[in-house]
Amino acid sequence: MKGLELVKLIDLSRCTACRGCQIACKQWNNLPASKTNNFGSYQNPPDLQWNTWTLIRFQEIEGQNNKVKWLFRKDGCMHCTDAACIKVCPTQALYHTEFGSVAVDYDRCIGCKACITACPFDVPRYDSVTNKIYKCDLCYSRLKANQPPACVQSCPTGALQIGAKDEMIAKAYKRAQELGDGATVYGDKYVDGTHVIYVLPQKAAVYEKLPDRPEVPAPILVWKDVLKPLGLIATGGVIGAAIVHYVTHGPKAPIEDNSNDQGGAV
Amino acid sequence: MKKGMIKATSGFERLVHWCLALSCLTLCFTGMAMMYHSMDFIGDMMGGMGNLKTVHNYTGVVFGVALIFAIGMWWKEAGLFSFPADWQWISCAGGYLWHVDKDKMPQVGKYNPGQKIFFLVVALYGIIMCISGYFMWFPEGYAKGLLQNMYLLHALGFVLIFPFFFIHLYLATIGVPGSAPAMFSGWVTRAWAKTNHPKWLKEIEK
Repeated sequence: MKGLELVKLIDLSRCTACRGCQIACKQWNNLPASKTNNFGSYQNPPDLQWNTWTLIRFQEIEGQNNKVKWLFRKDGCMHCTDAACIKVCPTQALYHTEFGSVAVDYDRCIGCKACITACPFDVPRYDSVTNKIYKCDLCYSRLKANQPPACVQSCPTGALQIGAKDEMIAKAYKRAQELGDGATVYGDKYVDGTHVIYVLPQKAAVYEKLPDRPEVPAPILVWKDVLKPLGLIATGGVIGAAIVHYVTHGPKAPIEDNSNDQGGAV
Repeated sequence: MKKGMIKATSGFERLVHWCLALSCLTLCFTGMAMMYHSMDFIGDMMGGMGNLKTVHNYTGVVFGVALIFAIGMWWKEAGLFSFPADWQWISCAGGYLWHVDKDKMPQVGKYNPGQKIFFLVVALYGIIMCISGYFMWFPEGYAKGLLQNMYLLHALGFVLIFPFFFIHLYLATIGVPGSAPAMFSGWVTRAWAKTNHPKWLKEIEK
Protein backbone atom coordinates (compact mmCIF):
# COMPACT_ATOMS: atom_id res chain seq x y z
CA MET A 1 0.00 0.00 0.00
CA LYS A 2 2.96 2.29 0.48
CA GLY A 3 3.22 5.12 -2.02
CA LEU A 4 -0.31 4.59 -3.34
CA GLU A 5 -3.35 6.82 -3.30
CA LEU A 6 -5.75 4.57 -1.43
CA VAL A 7 -9.49 4.12 -1.41
CA LYS A 8 -11.51 2.26 1.19
CA LEU A 9 -14.37 0.51 -0.55
CA ILE A 10 -17.53 -0.07 1.51
CA ASP A 11 -19.81 -2.57 -0.19
CA LEU A 12 -23.01 -2.13 1.80
CA SER A 13 -24.64 -5.07 0.06
CA ARG A 14 -22.26 -7.27 2.05
CA CYS A 15 -22.63 -5.48 5.39
CA THR A 16 -24.45 -7.47 8.08
CA ALA A 17 -24.18 -4.70 10.71
CA CYS A 18 -22.10 -6.89 13.02
CA ARG A 19 -20.30 -3.72 14.13
CA GLY A 20 -16.95 -5.46 14.35
CA CYS A 21 -15.50 -2.40 12.61
CA GLN A 22 -16.86 -0.09 15.31
CA ILE A 23 -15.15 -2.15 18.02
CA ALA A 24 -11.90 -2.62 16.09
CA CYS A 25 -11.76 1.14 15.50
CA LYS A 26 -12.13 1.85 19.22
CA GLN A 27 -9.57 -0.78 20.10
CA TRP A 28 -6.86 0.36 17.68
CA ASN A 29 -7.38 4.07 18.34
CA ASN A 30 -7.68 3.54 22.10
CA LEU A 31 -11.09 5.23 22.30
CA PRO A 32 -13.20 4.81 25.44
CA ALA A 33 -16.92 4.04 25.42
CA SER A 34 -19.49 6.57 26.58
CA LYS A 35 -22.70 5.94 28.47
CA THR A 36 -25.33 5.40 25.80
CA ASN A 37 -29.12 5.39 25.55
CA ASN A 38 -31.66 3.32 23.69
CA PHE A 39 -33.58 5.47 21.24
CA GLY A 40 -35.54 2.64 19.67
CA SER A 41 -32.90 1.42 17.28
CA TYR A 42 -30.07 -1.06 17.20
CA GLN A 43 -27.87 1.86 16.15
CA ASN A 44 -25.52 2.36 19.06
CA PRO A 45 -24.23 4.87 20.04
CA PRO A 46 -26.95 7.08 18.49
CA ASP A 47 -24.47 9.16 16.47
CA LEU A 48 -20.79 9.68 15.74
CA GLN A 49 -18.93 10.96 18.82
CA TRP A 50 -15.50 12.33 19.54
CA ASN A 51 -14.70 8.78 20.66
CA THR A 52 -16.74 6.97 17.99
CA TRP A 53 -15.14 7.55 14.61
CA THR A 54 -17.17 5.00 12.70
CA LEU A 55 -20.76 3.99 13.25
CA ILE A 56 -23.12 1.52 11.61
CA ARG A 57 -26.36 3.37 10.94
CA PHE A 58 -29.53 1.25 11.07
CA GLN A 59 -32.40 2.44 8.94
CA GLU A 60 -35.78 0.90 8.23
CA ILE A 61 -37.45 1.46 4.87
CA GLU A 62 -40.46 -0.02 3.17
CA GLY A 63 -39.43 -2.83 0.85
CA GLN A 64 -41.43 -5.06 -1.49
CA ASN A 65 -44.94 -6.14 -0.40
CA ASN A 66 -44.96 -3.67 2.49
CA LYS A 67 -42.20 -5.59 4.18
CA VAL A 68 -39.73 -3.73 6.33
CA LYS A 69 -36.28 -3.54 4.82
CA TRP A 70 -33.21 -2.88 6.92
CA LEU A 71 -30.50 -0.65 5.52
CA PHE A 72 -27.06 -0.52 7.09
CA ARG A 73 -24.47 2.15 6.43
CA LYS A 74 -21.01 2.44 7.91
CA ASP A 75 -20.65 6.19 8.56
CA GLY A 76 -17.39 8.04 9.13
CA CYS A 77 -14.92 10.34 7.46
CA MET A 78 -15.07 10.18 3.66
CA HIS A 79 -11.51 11.53 3.24
CA CYS A 80 -12.34 14.10 0.54
CA THR A 81 -9.80 15.25 -2.01
CA ASP A 82 -11.29 18.76 -2.00
CA ALA A 83 -11.70 18.64 1.77
CA ALA A 84 -13.69 21.51 3.28
CA CYS A 85 -12.21 20.79 6.72
CA ILE A 86 -8.66 21.27 5.46
CA LYS A 87 -9.73 24.44 3.66
CA VAL A 88 -11.10 26.07 6.81
CA CYS A 89 -8.65 24.78 9.44
CA PRO A 90 -6.78 27.88 10.72
CA THR A 91 -3.82 25.93 12.06
CA GLN A 92 -3.24 23.27 9.40
CA ALA A 93 -4.11 20.64 11.99
CA LEU A 94 -6.11 18.83 9.30
CA TYR A 95 -4.01 17.66 6.38
CA HIS A 96 -3.78 15.19 3.52
CA THR A 97 -1.51 12.23 4.11
CA GLU A 98 0.58 10.65 1.35
CA PHE A 99 -2.26 8.13 0.92
CA GLY A 100 -4.82 10.83 0.11
CA SER A 101 -6.60 10.39 3.44
CA VAL A 102 -7.30 13.27 5.83
CA ALA A 103 -5.52 13.07 9.18
CA VAL A 104 -5.43 15.31 12.27
CA ASP A 105 -2.34 16.73 13.95
CA TYR A 106 -3.61 16.95 17.52
CA ASP A 107 -0.74 19.18 18.63
CA ARG A 108 -2.01 21.80 16.18
CA CYS A 109 -5.77 21.55 16.74
CA ILE A 110 -7.09 24.49 18.82
CA GLY A 111 -10.71 23.32 19.00
CA CYS A 112 -12.11 26.21 16.94
CA LYS A 113 -14.77 23.92 15.41
CA ALA A 114 -14.56 25.51 11.94
CA CYS A 115 -14.21 22.02 10.40
CA ILE A 116 -17.45 20.91 12.06
CA THR A 117 -19.25 23.80 10.37
CA ALA A 118 -17.65 23.16 6.98
CA CYS A 119 -17.78 19.35 6.62
CA PRO A 120 -20.49 18.37 4.10
CA PHE A 121 -20.70 14.90 5.73
CA ASP A 122 -21.05 16.14 9.34
CA VAL A 123 -18.11 14.04 10.53
CA PRO A 124 -15.75 15.90 12.93
CA ARG A 125 -16.76 15.81 16.60
CA TYR A 126 -15.59 18.10 19.40
CA ASP A 127 -14.45 17.03 22.86
CA SER A 128 -14.66 19.82 25.43
CA VAL A 129 -12.29 18.05 27.86
CA THR A 130 -9.32 18.11 25.48
CA ASN A 131 -10.67 21.09 23.46
CA LYS A 132 -9.96 19.27 20.20
CA ILE A 133 -11.89 17.71 17.34
CA TYR A 134 -11.70 14.03 16.50
CA LYS A 135 -12.46 11.91 13.46
CA CYS A 136 -11.32 8.84 11.52
CA ASP A 137 -7.82 9.18 10.04
CA LEU A 138 -8.11 5.95 8.02
CA CYS A 139 -5.74 4.42 10.60
CA TYR A 140 -2.79 6.47 9.38
CA SER A 141 -0.53 4.70 11.87
CA ARG A 142 -1.45 1.34 10.35
CA LEU A 143 -1.22 2.50 6.72
CA LYS A 144 2.32 3.72 7.39
CA ALA A 145 3.16 0.22 8.65
CA ASN A 146 1.65 -1.29 5.48
CA GLN A 147 -1.37 -2.62 7.39
CA PRO A 148 -5.03 -2.15 6.45
CA PRO A 149 -7.18 0.07 8.70
CA ALA A 150 -8.54 -1.70 11.77
CA CYS A 151 -12.11 -1.66 10.41
CA VAL A 152 -11.04 -3.35 7.17
CA GLN A 153 -8.97 -5.91 9.09
CA SER A 154 -11.95 -6.80 11.28
CA CYS A 155 -14.67 -7.05 8.61
CA PRO A 156 -15.79 -10.71 8.37
CA THR A 157 -17.93 -10.41 5.22
CA GLY A 158 -15.64 -8.58 2.83
CA ALA A 159 -17.81 -5.47 2.90
CA LEU A 160 -14.67 -3.44 3.61
CA GLN A 161 -11.63 -3.44 1.39
CA ILE A 162 -8.74 -1.07 0.83
CA GLY A 163 -6.44 -0.71 -2.18
CA ALA A 164 -5.23 1.50 -5.00
CA LYS A 165 -7.78 4.14 -5.95
CA ASP A 166 -8.34 3.13 -9.58
CA GLU A 167 -8.56 -0.54 -8.71
CA MET A 168 -11.16 0.08 -5.99
CA ILE A 169 -13.27 2.37 -8.18
CA ALA A 170 -13.29 -0.24 -10.95
CA LYS A 171 -14.28 -2.88 -8.40
CA ALA A 172 -17.06 -0.67 -7.10
CA TYR A 173 -18.62 -0.17 -10.53
CA LYS A 174 -18.31 -3.85 -11.33
CA ARG A 175 -20.06 -4.76 -8.08
CA ALA A 176 -22.83 -2.19 -8.60
CA GLN A 177 -23.46 -3.65 -12.05
CA GLU A 178 -23.59 -7.15 -10.59
CA LEU A 179 -26.11 -6.06 -7.99
CA GLY A 180 -28.26 -4.10 -10.44
CA ASP A 181 -31.70 -3.08 -9.20
CA GLY A 182 -30.74 0.54 -8.59
CA ALA A 183 -27.37 -0.14 -6.94
CA THR A 184 -25.04 2.84 -7.24
CA VAL A 185 -21.45 3.88 -6.59
CA TYR A 186 -21.07 6.86 -4.27
CA GLY A 187 -18.04 9.05 -3.68
CA ASP A 188 -15.79 9.16 -6.74
CA LYS A 189 -17.82 11.95 -8.40
CA TYR A 190 -17.98 14.36 -5.44
CA VAL A 191 -15.49 16.80 -3.85
CA ASP A 192 -12.88 15.74 -6.43
CA GLY A 193 -13.30 12.16 -5.28
CA THR A 194 -13.54 10.80 -1.77
CA HIS A 195 -11.10 8.22 -0.48
CA VAL A 196 -13.98 6.23 0.96
CA ILE A 197 -16.35 4.92 -1.70
CA TYR A 198 -19.65 3.16 -1.20
CA VAL A 199 -21.45 0.57 -3.23
CA LEU A 200 -25.02 1.42 -2.27
CA PRO A 201 -27.73 -1.19 -2.93
CA GLN A 202 -30.24 1.70 -2.96
CA LYS A 203 -30.13 5.20 -4.42
CA ALA A 204 -28.06 7.64 -2.34
CA ALA A 205 -31.12 9.77 -1.53
CA VAL A 206 -32.65 6.84 0.36
CA TYR A 207 -29.90 6.82 2.99
CA GLU A 208 -30.31 8.99 6.07
CA LYS A 209 -27.61 11.58 6.73
CA LEU A 210 -25.91 10.85 3.41
CA PRO A 211 -25.88 14.07 1.35
CA ASP A 212 -27.23 13.57 -2.16
CA ARG A 213 -24.70 15.92 -3.77
CA PRO A 214 -21.96 16.67 -1.23
CA GLU A 215 -19.78 19.68 -1.96
CA VAL A 216 -17.68 22.28 -0.19
CA PRO A 217 -20.36 24.74 1.03
CA ALA A 218 -20.64 27.88 -1.14
CA PRO A 219 -20.01 30.37 1.73
CA ILE A 220 -16.78 28.49 2.52
CA LEU A 221 -15.68 28.79 -1.12
CA VAL A 222 -16.38 32.55 -1.17
CA TRP A 223 -14.52 32.94 2.13
CA LYS A 224 -11.44 30.96 1.20
CA ASP A 225 -11.19 31.40 -2.58
CA VAL A 226 -12.42 35.00 -2.97
CA LEU A 227 -12.25 36.99 0.28
CA LYS A 228 -8.97 35.52 1.51
CA PRO A 229 -6.91 36.64 -1.52
CA LEU A 230 -9.01 39.81 -1.87
CA GLY A 231 -8.02 40.86 1.66
CA LEU A 232 -4.35 40.89 0.68
CA ILE A 233 -4.95 42.48 -2.73
CA ALA A 234 -7.08 45.27 -1.26
CA THR A 235 -4.63 45.97 1.57
CA GLY A 236 -1.66 45.99 -0.78
CA GLY A 237 -3.57 48.16 -3.24
CA VAL A 238 -4.47 50.74 -0.60
CA ILE A 239 -0.93 50.93 0.79
CA GLY A 240 0.43 51.25 -2.76
CA ALA A 241 -2.13 53.93 -3.61
CA ALA A 242 -1.24 55.89 -0.45
CA ILE A 243 2.44 55.86 -1.41
CA VAL A 244 1.64 56.95 -4.98
CA HIS A 245 -0.62 59.70 -3.64
CA TYR A 246 2.06 60.96 -1.28
CA VAL A 247 4.69 61.00 -4.01
CA THR A 248 2.54 62.54 -6.75
CA HIS A 249 0.15 64.79 -4.81
CA GLY A 250 2.13 65.37 -1.66
CA PRO A 251 0.68 65.97 1.78
CA LYS A 252 -2.16 68.41 2.33
CA ALA A 253 -0.29 70.85 4.52
CA PRO A 254 -2.15 73.50 6.53
CA ILE A 255 -2.21 76.87 4.80
CA GLU A 256 -0.44 79.26 7.19
CA ASP A 257 -3.00 81.33 8.92
CA ASN A 258 -2.09 85.02 9.16
CA SER A 259 -5.49 86.31 10.09
CA ASN A 260 -4.76 85.87 13.73
CA ASP A 261 -7.36 88.40 14.69
CA GLN A 262 -9.30 85.92 16.76
CA GLY A 263 -6.22 84.58 18.44
CA GLY A 264 -7.35 81.01 18.14
CA ALA A 265 -9.33 81.37 21.30
CA VAL A 266 -11.73 78.58 22.04
CA MET B 1 -6.54 77.38 26.26
CA LYS B 2 -3.42 77.66 24.16
CA LYS B 3 -2.53 80.48 21.81
CA GLY B 4 -3.08 79.62 18.16
CA MET B 5 -4.25 76.13 19.14
CA ILE B 6 -7.66 74.54 19.16
CA LYS B 7 -8.90 71.66 21.25
CA ALA B 8 -10.26 69.05 18.84
CA THR B 9 -10.92 66.08 21.11
CA SER B 10 -11.64 65.41 24.77
CA GLY B 11 -9.60 63.03 26.87
CA PHE B 12 -12.49 60.58 26.91
CA GLU B 13 -12.71 60.64 23.12
CA ARG B 14 -9.01 59.88 22.83
CA LEU B 15 -9.25 57.04 25.35
CA VAL B 16 -12.14 55.44 23.46
CA HIS B 17 -10.37 56.00 20.13
CA TRP B 18 -7.23 54.19 21.27
CA CYS B 19 -9.13 51.36 22.94
CA LEU B 20 -11.00 50.85 19.67
CA ALA B 21 -7.90 51.28 17.49
CA LEU B 22 -5.58 48.99 19.43
CA SER B 23 -8.19 46.28 19.91
CA CYS B 24 -9.12 46.51 16.22
CA LEU B 25 -5.49 46.14 15.13
CA THR B 26 -4.91 43.25 17.54
CA LEU B 27 -7.99 41.58 16.05
CA CYS B 28 -6.78 42.21 12.50
CA PHE B 29 -3.35 40.71 13.10
CA THR B 30 -4.48 37.72 15.17
CA GLY B 31 -7.26 37.17 12.64
CA MET B 32 -4.77 37.27 9.79
CA ALA B 33 -2.67 34.65 11.57
CA MET B 34 -5.72 32.37 11.45
CA MET B 35 -6.65 33.14 7.83
CA TYR B 36 -3.15 33.24 6.27
CA HIS B 37 -0.96 30.31 7.29
CA SER B 38 2.18 32.26 6.35
CA MET B 39 1.43 34.60 9.27
CA ASP B 40 1.16 31.96 11.97
CA PHE B 41 4.44 33.24 13.45
CA ILE B 42 2.14 35.67 15.28
CA GLY B 43 0.74 32.58 16.98
CA ASP B 44 4.26 31.45 17.85
CA MET B 45 4.85 34.84 19.45
CA MET B 46 1.83 34.21 21.69
CA GLY B 47 2.80 30.70 22.64
CA GLY B 48 0.70 28.91 20.03
CA MET B 49 -2.39 29.33 17.93
CA GLY B 50 -4.63 28.25 20.82
CA ASN B 51 -3.48 31.24 22.85
CA LEU B 52 -3.82 33.45 19.79
CA LYS B 53 -7.45 32.40 19.40
CA THR B 54 -8.08 33.17 23.08
CA VAL B 55 -6.48 36.61 22.67
CA HIS B 56 -8.59 37.19 19.54
CA ASN B 57 -11.83 36.22 21.30
CA TYR B 58 -11.37 38.39 24.38
CA THR B 59 -9.96 41.32 22.41
CA GLY B 60 -13.22 41.09 20.49
CA VAL B 61 -15.06 41.80 23.73
CA VAL B 62 -12.86 44.88 24.36
CA PHE B 63 -13.51 46.02 20.79
CA GLY B 64 -17.26 45.56 21.21
CA VAL B 65 -17.35 47.64 24.41
CA ALA B 66 -15.16 50.39 22.90
CA LEU B 67 -17.39 50.37 19.83
CA ILE B 68 -20.50 51.03 21.94
CA PHE B 69 -18.82 54.10 23.46
CA ALA B 70 -17.51 55.25 20.07
CA ILE B 71 -20.95 55.01 18.47
CA GLY B 72 -22.52 56.76 21.45
CA MET B 73 -20.21 59.76 21.39
CA TRP B 74 -19.55 60.14 17.65
CA TRP B 75 -22.84 59.15 16.02
CA LYS B 76 -24.23 62.70 15.79
CA GLU B 77 -20.97 64.24 14.55
CA ALA B 78 -19.65 61.47 12.30
CA GLY B 79 -22.54 59.10 11.68
CA LEU B 80 -24.97 61.44 9.96
CA PHE B 81 -24.45 63.04 6.58
CA SER B 82 -25.63 66.55 5.80
CA PHE B 83 -26.77 66.63 2.22
CA PRO B 84 -26.27 68.16 -0.28
CA ALA B 85 -22.93 69.52 0.97
CA ASP B 86 -21.59 66.07 1.85
CA TRP B 87 -22.66 64.68 -1.50
CA GLN B 88 -20.84 67.51 -3.24
CA TRP B 89 -17.71 66.70 -1.19
CA ILE B 90 -17.91 63.03 -2.15
CA SER B 91 -18.41 63.80 -5.84
CA CYS B 92 -15.12 65.70 -5.90
CA ALA B 93 -13.41 63.17 -3.55
CA GLY B 94 -12.73 65.95 -1.08
CA GLY B 95 -10.19 67.44 -3.45
CA TYR B 96 -7.70 64.71 -2.54
CA LEU B 97 -7.44 63.03 -5.91
CA TRP B 98 -7.76 65.69 -8.58
CA HIS B 99 -7.83 69.45 -8.73
CA VAL B 100 -11.07 71.02 -7.57
CA ASP B 101 -11.74 74.74 -7.74
CA LYS B 102 -12.02 76.30 -4.32
CA ASP B 103 -15.54 77.62 -4.88
CA LYS B 104 -16.75 74.15 -5.76
CA MET B 105 -15.48 72.61 -2.52
CA PRO B 106 -18.12 72.63 0.21
CA GLN B 107 -17.03 73.88 3.61
CA VAL B 108 -16.14 70.93 5.81
CA GLY B 109 -17.51 70.69 9.35
CA LYS B 110 -16.00 68.74 12.24
CA TYR B 111 -15.80 65.56 10.18
CA ASN B 112 -15.59 65.35 6.42
CA PRO B 113 -17.70 62.76 4.57
CA GLY B 114 -14.64 60.54 4.07
CA GLN B 115 -14.17 60.39 7.81
CA LYS B 116 -17.89 59.75 8.21
CA ILE B 117 -17.75 56.83 5.78
CA PHE B 118 -14.81 55.34 7.68
CA PHE B 119 -16.65 55.78 10.97
CA LEU B 120 -19.80 54.20 9.57
CA VAL B 121 -17.95 51.23 8.09
CA VAL B 122 -16.21 50.55 11.41
CA ALA B 123 -19.33 51.22 13.47
CA LEU B 124 -21.85 49.24 11.42
CA TYR B 125 -19.56 46.47 10.23
CA GLY B 126 -17.98 46.35 13.70
CA ILE B 127 -21.38 45.32 15.04
CA ILE B 128 -21.59 42.61 12.37
CA MET B 129 -18.07 41.46 13.33
CA CYS B 130 -19.14 41.15 16.98
CA ILE B 131 -22.27 39.19 16.08
CA SER B 132 -20.56 36.86 13.59
CA GLY B 133 -17.63 36.49 15.98
CA TYR B 134 -20.00 35.42 18.73
CA PHE B 135 -21.34 32.62 16.53
CA MET B 136 -17.80 31.54 15.65
CA TRP B 137 -16.81 31.53 19.33
CA PHE B 138 -19.89 29.55 20.43
CA PRO B 139 -21.06 27.63 17.33
CA GLU B 140 -22.61 24.65 19.08
CA GLY B 141 -26.32 24.24 18.55
CA TYR B 142 -26.67 26.53 15.54
CA ALA B 143 -27.54 25.49 11.98
CA LYS B 144 -24.49 24.90 9.81
CA GLY B 145 -25.76 27.08 6.96
CA LEU B 146 -26.08 29.99 9.39
CA LEU B 147 -22.59 29.41 10.79
CA GLN B 148 -21.01 29.16 7.34
CA ASN B 149 -22.45 32.56 6.47
CA MET B 150 -21.15 33.98 9.76
CA TYR B 151 -17.62 32.92 8.74
CA LEU B 152 -18.22 34.58 5.37
CA LEU B 153 -19.40 37.85 6.96
CA HIS B 154 -16.45 37.84 9.37
CA ALA B 155 -13.95 37.47 6.51
CA LEU B 156 -15.75 40.18 4.51
CA GLY B 157 -15.38 42.53 7.48
CA PHE B 158 -11.63 42.06 7.41
CA VAL B 159 -11.53 42.79 3.68
CA LEU B 160 -13.44 46.05 4.27
CA ILE B 161 -11.92 47.31 7.51
CA PHE B 162 -8.23 46.41 7.22
CA PRO B 163 -7.54 48.19 3.88
CA PHE B 164 -9.68 51.14 5.01
CA PHE B 165 -7.55 51.37 8.17
CA PHE B 166 -4.50 52.18 5.99
CA ILE B 167 -6.36 55.07 4.35
CA HIS B 168 -7.20 56.31 7.85
CA LEU B 169 -3.58 55.89 8.96
CA TYR B 170 -2.21 57.71 5.90
CA LEU B 171 -4.60 60.66 6.06
CA ALA B 172 -4.25 61.00 9.83
CA THR B 173 -0.45 61.17 9.67
CA ILE B 174 1.76 62.03 6.68
CA GLY B 175 -1.14 62.59 4.25
CA VAL B 176 -2.58 65.52 6.20
CA PRO B 177 0.17 66.85 8.49
CA GLY B 178 -1.09 68.28 11.75
CA SER B 179 -3.93 65.75 12.12
CA ALA B 180 -2.30 63.21 14.43
CA PRO B 181 -2.00 65.55 17.45
CA ALA B 182 -5.82 65.56 17.58
CA MET B 183 -5.62 62.02 18.91
CA PHE B 184 -2.52 62.47 21.08
CA SER B 185 -2.62 65.81 22.89
CA GLY B 186 -6.04 66.73 21.56
CA TRP B 187 -4.77 70.12 20.35
CA VAL B 188 -4.56 71.09 16.68
CA THR B 189 -3.33 74.32 15.16
CA ARG B 190 -5.83 76.92 14.04
CA ALA B 191 -4.26 76.85 10.58
CA TRP B 192 -4.89 73.11 10.37
CA ALA B 193 -8.51 73.55 11.40
CA LYS B 194 -9.01 76.40 8.94
CA THR B 195 -7.52 74.34 6.10
CA ASN B 196 -9.33 71.11 6.79
CA HIS B 197 -12.44 71.91 8.81
CA PRO B 198 -13.31 75.59 8.16
CA LYS B 199 -17.03 75.25 8.91
CA TRP B 200 -16.29 73.65 12.27
CA LEU B 201 -13.77 76.40 13.08
CA LYS B 202 -16.40 79.05 12.35
CA GLU B 203 -18.90 77.27 14.57
CA ILE B 204 -16.61 77.10 17.59
CA GLU B 205 -15.34 80.62 17.15
CA LYS B 206 -18.82 82.12 16.99
